[in-house]
Amino acid sequence: MAALKELQRDLENKANDLNKLQKDISKNHQVRKKYTIQLGENELVLKELDLLNEDANVYKLIGPVLVKQDLAEANANVRKRIEYISAELKRLDGTLQDLEEKQNSKKEAVVVPDSRYSRYNKEFSRCRLEKARHNMSKSNKHAV
Amino acid sequence: MAASSRMEIEKMSVEQLRGLKEQADMEVNLFQDSLNNIRTATARLELASTALHDLSLRPQGKKMLVPLTASLYVPGMLDDAEKVLVDVGTGYFIEKTMAEGKDYCERKISLLKSNYDQLLEVATKKKSIADEAGAVLQAKLKHMAPAQ
Repeated sequence: MAALKELQRDLENKANDLNKLQKDISKNHQVRKKYTIQLGENELVLKELDLLNEDANVYKLIGPVLVKQDLAEANANVRKRIEYISAELKRLDGTLQDLEEKQNSKKEAVVVPDSRYSRYNKEFSRCRLEKARHNMSKSNKHAV
Repeated sequence: MAASSRMEIEKMSVEQLRGLKEQADMEVNLFQDSLNNIRTATARLELASTALHDLSLRPQGKKMLVPLTASLYVPGMLDDAEKVLVDVGTGYFIEKTMAEGKDYCERKISLLKSNYDQLLEVATKKKSIADEAGAVLQAKLKHMAPAQ
């Protein structure tokens, strides 16, 4: 009986862990989406900057101020941003793989006690059924 | 190709079919949203292109009303319409000539149109999978119901 309760608690803990992992994975997906969009935008800007002549004017919007920038400097800035975002994406990919592996192993760990739990449950209900039958036969004897 | 995929769908149980149909429906909705977004963006770019073209027709020094806020306009004069500032994203603006500006709009519009076509293709494929799954599911349910 106590073993059954313990198994139940164990199962609950594992279910909570799985939930938390699920939330972490979906958060990871959201951040990944944001970074992917930013990467795309920056690559578009880089393409435009590459099409320009040397003497074209480039301005950057910093808050409410439009500031004139050097073409080379703008190129360097955009390239650096692209590098940074790609590195972040790779890092997120690694974390995602980690989380998915942990999730799979936790799922397997849940299935094993789950089978033990269902076996315990079956045993328990079988004992109860036998006891009930025993009681019924006793009362029958009384009736007779 | 359609025949082989239909066989695979028919082999699945009712539960799996239901799950597949729900997932496919969700994906179709996502695709529709993206298609709408692309259409809106294309419309805005076309508006910008028309405005540019209109601007190029105006002579320098022409009197105009400049919007300071949504409800406040001040009179002003059109300066050189040969140079335009183009917003290229991530806070960068590039000074271009009128011709380059028009060219930029055209380029962006054609890029969006090709994206739209690609997305439409994938979306129709997903929709046909969803419809097939739904049809097989219906057939299976009808098959099961009279048996009960």
